Amino acid sequence: MRKKFKKKMAALDEIFEFVGAFIEAEGIDETTAFAVNFAIEEIFTNMVKYSQHNNQDVLLDLSRDDKRIVISATEYDVDEFDITKVAEVDTNLETPERKIGGLGLHLTRQVMDEVSYRYQNRNSTVTLIKYLEN
Amino acid sequence: MFEIHRDENGDIILAGRFDAAQAEKARAVLDEVNTSCTVNFQDLKYISSAGLGELLLVQKRLMDCGQTLRLVNMNSHIRDIFKYAGFHTIFKID
Repeated sequence: MRKKFKKKMAALDEIFEFVGAFIEAEGIDETTAFAVNFAIEEIFTNMVKYSQHNNQDVLLDLSRDDKRIVISATEYDVDEFDITKVAEVDTNLETPERKIGGLGLHLTRQVMDEVSYRYQNRNSTVTLIKYLEN
Repeated sequence: MFEIHRDENGDIILAGRFDAAQAEKARAVLDEVNTSCTVNFQDLKYISSAGLGELLLVQKRLMDCGQTLRLVNMNSHIRDIFKYAGFHTIFKID
């Protein structure tokens, strides 16, 4: 399933509806569904936050085979921002030292099995893979 | 759909989906919290890092004056997210 979405927070409801239809059509279990929703929100909102100079839609592409779910999110005509090179968050800091924000990519890495990035012709694609149990 | 309100005991009740688009709605309630209280996750189905950030903001402010949030009735998926974030050492979670 593929669909383009406006690059703004208000598009989240429409995105969850799109992802929900995919999850239902593919009979994906509740735990995997939570992870898929979570990772897509984090990647999409990251694009909204850091690409505000560009209003081109974001393309979401969801697919599955027997072993895995593959999610890709592509934004167009943007500067390179390789999320796989973002430094890990220290989750062991004491509360006063913890910063507000910055957890999204860390948590995406936790709930997904693979996170990769490709930048070509000023188009930026994040690909997420979640392996299915059984 | 996301709902947040305080019940007659002062507990914060969360319901639905606490995503990035709901942060402002949540903040309107959470900004009013000035003493220790319970946050009930019974009807909350989903939370993202944006929701975690809003709760951390309150917890840091409360801890500065010796107060704290107590989080109860999380589903297993949300509990995992709190653990991955290291928030299980920041909040009292029952």
